[in-house]
Amino acid sequence: MPMPIGLVALLQAAADTSHAYGHFPVIGPRGAVWIAAEVHLMFAAFVLGVPMFAVICELIGIVGKDAKYDKLSKEFTRLLVFAYSATALWGAVLLFFLTTLYPKFWNHMARLFSLSMYVYVGLFFIESFTLYLYYYGWDRWNAGRAKWGHWTLGVLLNVWGTTVMLIANGWLTYMMSPPKSETAETLPEQVGLWNALANATWMPINIHRLIANAVFGGSIVAAYAAYRFLAARTDEERAHYDWMGYVGNFIAISTFIVLPFAGYWLGREIYQYNQQMGITMMGGFMSWLWIVQAVLIGVLFLCANYYLWIGMARIPGAERFVPYTKYMLALLLACWIVWATPHTMIASREELAAMGGAHHPFLNVLGVMSAKNTAVNLMILTTFLSFLIYRRANKRPVVPWARTGTIIQAVMFGLAAAVVLFYGVYGYFVEAIVRIGFSVYQVVAVLGCIAGVTIIDLFLVRGAETRGEIRWGQMPARAQYALFVLAVTFTWLMGLMGFARSGIRQHWHVWEVMRDTSPQAFTPALGYAANMISACVLIFLGLVAFIFWLGSLAEHVAGKSAAVEPPAGFTIGGTAPARTTGGAD
Amino acid sequence: MWRTNLRILALALCVVGFYTAIAHAIPQLQSEVPEALTLTSDASPEALANAGEKIFNGAGGCTTCHGLGTRAPNLITDHAGQGPIGARCGTRKPGMDCKAYLYESLVKPAAYVVAGFEPIMPDMSKQLTPDQLWAVVAYLQSQGGEVTVTASDLKAATTGAAPAAAGAAFTATRDPVQLYNEKGCVGCHQLDGKGGTIGPSWDHVGSRRTAEQIRRKILAPNSDTTKGYEKFAGTMPVTFGQQLSASQLEALVTYLAGRK
Repeated sequence: MPMPIGLVALLQAAADTSHAYGHFPVIGPRGAVWIAAEVHLMFAAFVLGVPMFAVICELIGIVGKDAKYDKLSKEFTRLLVFAYSATALWGAVLLFFLTTLYPKFWNHMARLFSLSMYVYVGLFFIESFTLYLYYYGWDRWNAGRAKWGHWTLGVLLNVWGTTVMLIANGWLTYMMSPPKSETAETLPEQVGLWNALANATWMPINIHRLIANAVFGGSIVAAYAAYRFLAARTDEERAHYDWMGYVGNFIAISTFIVLPFAGYWLGREIYQYNQQMGITMMGGFMSWLWIVQAVLIGVLFLCANYYLWIGMARIPGAERFVPYTKYMLALLLACWIVWATPHTMIASREELAAMGGAHHPFLNVLGVMSAKNTAVNLMILTTFLSFLIYRRANKRPVVPWARTGTIIQAVMFGLAAAVVLFYGVYGYFVEAIVRIGFSVYQVVAVLGCIAGVTIIDLFLVRGAETRGEIRWGQMPARAQYALFVLAVTFTWLMGLMGFARSGIRQHWHVWEVMRDTSPQAFTPALGYAANMISACVLIFLGLVAFIFWLGSLAEHVAGKSAAVEPPAGFTIGGTAPARTTGGAD
Repeated sequence: MWRTNLRILALALCVVGFYTAIAHAIPQLQSEVPEALTLTSDASPEALANAGEKIFNGAGGCTTCHGLGTRAPNLITDHAGQGPIGARCGTRKPGMDCKAYLYESLVKPAAYVVAGFEPIMPDMSKQLTPDQLWAVVAYLQSQGGEVTVTASDLKAATTGAAPAAAGAAFTATRDPVQLYNEKGCVGCHQLDGKGGTIGPSWDHVGSRRTAEQIRRKILAPNSDTTKGYEKFAGTMPVTFGQQLSASQLEALVTYLAGRK
């Protein structure tokens, strides 16, 4: 009869004369650190992502002299004040767990990174005080030069936050890709702080996380707006939170579209650092993780598009695009199925014999990267098209070259799709090493299309006539639930990717430098990992709900009228006069 | 409002539950830690091979590439009609027997790369203990061949002595060309038009690098990467400081610096 893992851990801790590991009841030390690190990271992503668009919204408000953007920015920032405390608390929990449950490992990290830890703490102080100044000084520094000074505080908040993230990323990426000259015998002092921080995967992770934080922050803000929309008692409130939800979702999805490209870069760097690590990640025991990831991302694309398509019902003129949405849905579903098709099967000899090889004879055709890259690029193009028609729905361009511009945009879409399909098919006829390079051409085609079409569109709708004002607030409740699904899915996806990044180290605290000798050194299967991820997501979302409630409580005490006043330029229920430029941009 | 709150809660639980259910429905693969071997000095070849099989199929992670036969040669059933690895290992490298070849493939995988494959295999001595390495060799020999690994190999490995059959790690020679062949440099670097092309050619290396730079590259291969070889960065073992005596190192450096 196998010994319970808790008992094994206890015996291990008792017998471990070097005191390398501590004991934690029920879930063990790894489970404790897992939850503390993941929840801390989720809050950290939120408090790094939200200031990015708080500061952008404030700038739009200043330059465009539009008070509703300034109010939106302040509302974002109010959520930050509470979220900062939660981030710091979970960071402290993580630190205590590491020092008490993994003292030997922590000693190694502290000897190597001590200087950067002091800088980190100092920056965290500065960042916190900058946030307090930024939030509490909002109404005092609200005009003229003082307003610009206030906006500069927001920029500084982002600078401090990003620097803090870069330092922490250096620690965790060191664990997966330490300098190659380092061995188990190398003393931490011999490695060099900068050498350890600026390791092979540091910059790809930095870029990936920077984008992912914006995505995550956007989705949580959108969920907040959805909640407030459902709880709203007046049309004004509903209009405001409908608009806020749209902005949050727009930021989340528009930044999410470029995230896969940052992911490609990170994956390539992992392969270049250590082929075995890369293969473990993509083709080894973790290969099925990417099928789960595909399911999640498919849900994200579908919900994001669904939200936009429903939203078009409140835009006069959008009816002309509605018939096309069913084809877009069909394309998204087809691409989703392709993306979620498994390729490499870990199978027994009997199963391999039954399949006639390592790959399934049918699924093999769809499960390869040529098909998957094609599918994901087409999904990105489709989602971009949804945004475009949403934006154009209530506009009638007046520039003389409007028809030509629209045709050029259509050609750009067609060309991008053709390039993606061509290299997708051609990839089946070339060697793997050549095929990998094709993904770059596909990405360049899609990004080129997005950039080109957007630039043309900015000029094309300048001064456009409106077909009618967007009826903010006239959004069905199911659209708000789509925003919740997006937020929950983004959060779960973050937990899953955290497991992938950490799990590829397998039984190493620091890859090929410091071995994990604890009873929990094995890397668990996806089922167990999913339980842990779900626990982290529910803890995080529960705390976020509490923070949202606190936010509304503070607002209630301060006086509701200031928070829900209908912003200038809004049309509620289509009763106000239409603006010339429309409102969906 | 409570109804709305409950709806949101139910939705969140359903979404989380859906993803959790999918993660449970797919194959559950766990990455195991390499087991510490407790083989005694009288361990039989069968015991060694059995221990090696566990490592090969489990913690060693070998099947990730070798099991499929697409990223690396298939070792268990057949590769290019030559049979399993035990049947073909003795003829892979001239003058090197099966045991020596397999051991070298594990600890110096770049020394010989089978045609048609990339040099992607890591140095397994960083992952496995010497005992485990020999157990894997025994298992691979058992696949169509005769197991010649003995307990004395394990003993030599654990006491730090060089595996005699694996080619002496330390020889007394200071002949740079002999070192070039013995230490496996031939697998990656060309000399007089012979050898591998994974690393820069040794022909005219003296015109590109000073003696000091060559010495540094041998002792710390990852200190920099020669232009055009970025994709092979990290391939060269970092153990030559331990494999070469000081006089051998200087002989090699002087020789290479002189090849203008």
